[in-house]
Amino acid sequence: MSEPDVTPDLGGAQLGDTAQLVDAAKLDDGAQNGDPAFASQEAVRLEDVHKSFGDLEVLRGIDLSVAPHQVICLIGASGSGKSTLLRCVNLLESVNRGRILLWGQDVTAPGVDENAVRRHIGIVFQSFNLFPHMTVLRNITLGPTRVLGVPRDEAEEAGRALLVRFGLSEKQDDYPDRLSGGQQQRVAIVRALAMQPGIMLLDEVTSALDPELVSEVLGVIRELAAAGMTMLIATHEMGFARDIADRVCFLDEGVILEQGPPGQVFTAPGNSRTQQFLRRIVDAGRL
Amino acid sequence: MPVRGSREGAYLDEQTLLAAGAPPPGSFEGNGRGSHLLGGQRAAAVSTVSTVVFIGAVIALFVFAPGAAAVRHTFFNPQQMKQAFLGDPSKGLYSVGKGLILNIEMFLIAEVLILFCALVIAVLRQLRNPVLFPFRMLAVVYTDVFRGVPLIIVIYGIGFGAPALYIRGISTQSDFVYGIAALVLSYSAYVAEVYRAGINSVHQSQVAAARSLGLSQWKSLRFVVLPQAVRTVIPPLLNDFISLQKDTALVSTLGAVIEANRAAQIDSSTLFVYSSYTVAALLFLCLTIPLARFTDRLIARDVSRRLAGGRAVR
Amino acid sequence: MRKSLVLVMFAMIGLGLTAVGSSASPVPSTKAASAVLTAKASSCSYAAIAPHLYKVGVLTVATDSPAYEPWFDNNTPSNGKGYESAVAYAVGKQLGFSKSQVKWTVEPFDASFAPGPKKFDFDVNEISYTPERATVVSFSVSYYDVQQALIALKNSRIVKHHTPADLRTYVYGDQIGSTSLAFINTELRPTHQPSVFNTLNDAKSALQDGRIQALVADTPTAQYISSSEIPKSVLVGQFPSTGEHYGLLFAKNDPLVACVNKAIAALKVNGSLAKFQKEYLGIYTSVPTIKP
Repeated sequence: MSEPDVTPDLGGAQLGDTAQLVDAAKLDDGAQNGDPAFASQEAVRLEDVHKSFGDLEVLRGIDLSVAPHQVICLIGASGSGKSTLLRCVNLLESVNRGRILLWGQDVTAPGVDENAVRRHIGIVFQSFNLFPHMTVLRNITLGPTRVLGVPRDEAEEAGRALLVRFGLSEKQDDYPDRLSGGQQQRVAIVRALAMQPGIMLLDEVTSALDPELVSEVLGVIRELAAAGMTMLIATHEMGFARDIADRVCFLDEGVILEQGPPGQVFTAPGNSRTQQFLRRIVDAGRL
Repeated sequence: MPVRGSREGAYLDEQTLLAAGAPPPGSFEGNGRGSHLLGGQRAAAVSTVSTVVFIGAVIALFVFAPGAAAVRHTFFNPQQMKQAFLGDPSKGLYSVGKGLILNIEMFLIAEVLILFCALVIAVLRQLRNPVLFPFRMLAVVYTDVFRGVPLIIVIYGIGFGAPALYIRGISTQSDFVYGIAALVLSYSAYVAEVYRAGINSVHQSQVAAARSLGLSQWKSLRFVVLPQAVRTVIPPLLNDFISLQKDTALVSTLGAVIEANRAAQIDSSTLFVYSSYTVAALLFLCLTIPLARFTDRLIARDVSRRLAGGRAVR
Repeated sequence: MRKSLVLVMFAMIGLGLTAVGSSASPVPSTKAASAVLTAKASSCSYAAIAPHLYKVGVLTVATDSPAYEPWFDNNTPSNGKGYESAVAYAVGKQLGFSKSQVKWTVEPFDASFAPGPKKFDFDVNEISYTPERATVVSFSVSYYDVQQALIALKNSRIVKHHTPADLRTYVYGDQIGSTSLAFINTELRPTHQPSVFNTLNDAKSALQDGRIQALVADTPTAQYISSSEIPKSVLVGQFPSTGEHYGLLFAKNDPLVACVNKAIAALKVNGSLAKFQKEYLGIYTSVPTIKP
């Protein structure tokens, strides 16, 4: 089964090019800037996005803009809609209202090839979701070989390079359930990177980890940020969010109540709900 | 919950039971370790004795019952068992052993076809592409019908029905072919459901992970879901195949397939003894018991893997 | 500890044996425990045989279902029509049973020779005597001398070509448990393995659909099939007698056998058997004989 690379109204060339914005090489040089043609454009734009599950309205009108190379952290209580927002961007959930644009293309329009869209977006889940029946290397090469049509040995070579880059080269032939949680999550990140995505979505990637394993994963994310990866990160790690984010968005009951640079949101939140939320976090010793 | 006096049976909770030395719920035979199963040395002795007594009583029944001699003559006549195993054309006796080769052939051919057909049906039912709707509906109807109709009727229907149609290529097949077709039709419906259960047991997050890489629905199924699903359903599949081995005997109703059971029937009605059935039963056991033990081992491995928190050595 | 357990064990086996022993007496019914009486069975009066009956006061006769024509009529053994039904009633009459004292029961062929107590006094179901079978059950003397016959479709090659060499080349079929099947295998010796069906009806439908080329059955059955059941078929011919005959089937060493044998002998002498054969089985002088 083969699907067209992209649908006509979703400029394949553009997405193809943006996918090059962050490739392994650029991660290595830590290049900050990609193709100038897209530098001025928004990488992601959400307009009045609504999403319901049955009677439960999880997203109630989200507007959000992410520039290339920007790192946005989504904070908020559990159930505030952070995960759903990320899944909508990746088209794992369809929106009920509003639209989502990636590099100016409406990906929520009818007829869009969602497989083609997804190959340019990497997502990492809270529960890793590695494929338990495949070795680490095979987990990483599955996407490139089966979706992008990269020859197997090339894909493996690239995969091994990524594993070396993230200190996982000894694990390439292990099955996921032999790895620690931190290692599994790093593999999951590498699996997403192997597709050379233009944007990474990270959904509570450290929430399922033992505390001592959190930092190794955060370290990887910092590296990605330093390499210029555009990222949307849902997280409970406030200290991390403050360090890494260009902008922090506070979600509450399906709307973005407050957003701004971390310094502003964390130190002088304007909204009383944000203040409340942050106070609870501070009380819990998490900031 | 507080532990109350043991006389207040209604208030006995898990902890009380534990305190009283009862095994925790779910621990019976749980890990399959011998000592646990039998509960120590004393229990081992008791179980040994009761086993010996039981076997002794059964043997005594066969030796001393008033009709024991007749039963031995009819069911366990060594001379006739040998005759039934080898066959004797001069007396019109068929070889049960030779018949078993047909059972094995039918089983092997049918099994391969069933594994394939059932997978196709299960996958058809899983794909959500609207173009495939008629096929999906067909798959549902098919599994409903062939799980509901007794195998023997399917065998009769095909074996006696197809030749009566006088269709070139269909009506001129051998009973062997009709029999296998019937086995495949009937068992594929069962096995498709087993596959489907396996597919549904793979967590949605696996599908999400696969789709997020850009894999199509089909490729997610092919590379991520099915390999995991098949692994889960191997024990139940083997179970189905144990019964398939036995059900190959039903094909003999079509006439031309003189498999082990039919050979035993003929020998039995020729000599008026059942020793030939004993031979057939023993031969079938030789086929099914190894498969049953193999299934047990796979299940035990699966259980131990789950007990180990999904971090078993592969 | 071990020692005492072993003792307990032996005690239990002993108990088990006692139990088996004590249950032993009721199991052999009036039918089996009476070998002693066989000698005295020279008297076959109703009073003399009464203690040996399966059920008090009635003669219980078994046959399979379906009961095929012309041996029975309309699968109803109790109507007295059909050769075997007529013979059973005549035997009963000889032994002093009125028609209403003869009760029919269904006994599958396979079960008729099972060990253990029989659920009938005798079974009449076109069962051929063979020495091997007679080691397990007892047979009466012949109530019908059997010849096997060949049935085929009218347009079949076998109708014209049935030399012994030709006969080896055809595909035969038969009902399981029939001596006709043994006849095919031992006398015709075809190169193609014959098909074996659960019932004669399955064999007939196979003949009609061309799945087998010929069917072997006793001459009366063959005659009935070709004349009444399969219009497209023809009785090709009957084979010479091999000395095969049908006998009534009894539990091994049943004391009734001697009396039933007397009754059958009397029916032969007084012409009843010949009369029944004429009435129900037709006259087969016209059936050509072919050599196997």
